[in-house]
Amino acid sequence: MDWLEEELRRALAREDPPDGFAERVLSRSARGAWGRRGWLAAAAMVVVAFGAGGAWRQHQGNQAKEEVMLALRLASGPVSHIQSEVRGMTQ
Amino acid sequence: MLIGAVETECDFRSLVRQHQGMVFSIALHYLRDRGSAEEVAQEVFFSLHRNLHQIESLAHAMAWLRKVAVQRAIDEGRRRSRRPQVALADVAEPASSVKAGDPLLSELLRKLVATLPEAPRMVMILRYQEDLEPAEIAAALEMPLATVKSHLQRSLAMLRGKLARRGIGESGWTG
Amino acid sequence: MRSLLVACLGALALLAAPQQFHINLDSVASKASSHVDVSLDASTLQFAAKFLDASDPDEAKVKKLIVGIEGIYVRHFEFKSSGAWSQADLEPIRAQLHGPEWSRIVGVSSSEDGENAEIWLRHSGNKSVGVAIIATEPKEVTVVNIAGNIDLESLSELGGHFGVPKMKTPDKPQKEE
Repeated sequence: MDWLEEELRRALAREDPPDGFAERVLSRSARGAWGRRGWLAAAAMVVVAFGAGGAWRQHQGNQAKEEVMLALRLASGPVSHIQSEVRGMTQ
Repeated sequence: MLIGAVETECDFRSLVRQHQGMVFSIALHYLRDRGSAEEVAQEVFFSLHRNLHQIESLAHAMAWLRKVAVQRAIDEGRRRSRRPQVALADVAEPASSVKAGDPLLSELLRKLVATLPEAPRMVMILRYQEDLEPAEIAAALEMPLATVKSHLQRSLAMLRGKLARRGIGESGWTG
Repeated sequence: MRSLLVACLGALALLAAPQQFHINLDSVASKASSHVDVSLDASTLQFAAKFLDASDPDEAKVKKLIVGIEGIYVRHFEFKSSGAWSQADLEPIRAQLHGPEWSRIVGVSSSEDGENAEIWLRHSGNKSVGVAIIATEPKEVTVVNIAGNIDLESLSELGGHFGVPKMKTPDKPQKEE
């Protein structure tokens, strides 16, 4: 490793996050878990109140959405790769 | 899927403490903004918390965190849609003869790295912050190995050129 | 009357916007350890678009991207080891792309990694009306047909940033903190 790479290692050495970071993450994660349970309970009430029809449509919609995201993700990989190769050749 | 040691809140706590430096630093060196880096790092750990059941081992957790940190940092960079520019007036220049570890040189290098396009910028961070080999970087970024090597080579050449124009080079460096 | 019938049939064909070429990869499918098969026509895409969250940056990009698209057809195969498929398996697909309505606009190939990717555009007059993508690696084959008008630049920007990565356990021991 030459001098520049040594200096890059020093310059990009890991730094600690601000004080209290871990505590903030842990307390928000715990609140998030309760939040999710509350959301699930509310969602269950909506299904009971309005019947299964609306929830089924939501489920189908989410499935369709996931398929779109999956399809585009699979398509975008090669396109992104081609673009970066072409940029690399023209730089 | 192994039900390993990572299922419990206690283990999540220890994963946060063990890897917070890595996750925060990837975001920090990429975004050059401590506030944004902390937000991104928090999101990464929330994501881990939601997906603990997918984690198979402690080694897997580290690789997973690194990959998600990379993704979230890049996403945040795109949302902000700006590449930090080095404003020379804002950066005190190191002298042309520099000692190893000169803090002004380190700061200049961090800023120069932050001006790289997103892919080479992240490649440089994974190489010099995380000490990953090019093949490991290729796996983490889902990028061809040849592309990783090309980014490293070009970025180093760019940095050498910019430092040389400021009169900073190996001849003046004392390690 | 005859011209009216022809016009109606033409309109119906446009509305149907079927897949623009057959992705016949049965020879490959039988050897794959896993595969993904997605076929989304215009009505499914319109339905899915209603559930894309405009406040989520990734989903907002996707919502914008699929506006001009009439169908997306993807076949993706993964293999346990190299050598399970060959270029000959892809010839039936490439043969369909040799017609006058298709032109190969770009291809990249790496002998070091064995990775190849190519993009074909389908045109009607001066308009682009479809895209074919063929991407291969030693252990993966992906073929995509997008019918309609798509912004390839926006598509490339989506590359690899959806959701949470599915990780394989790393082979090498990781650096200790």
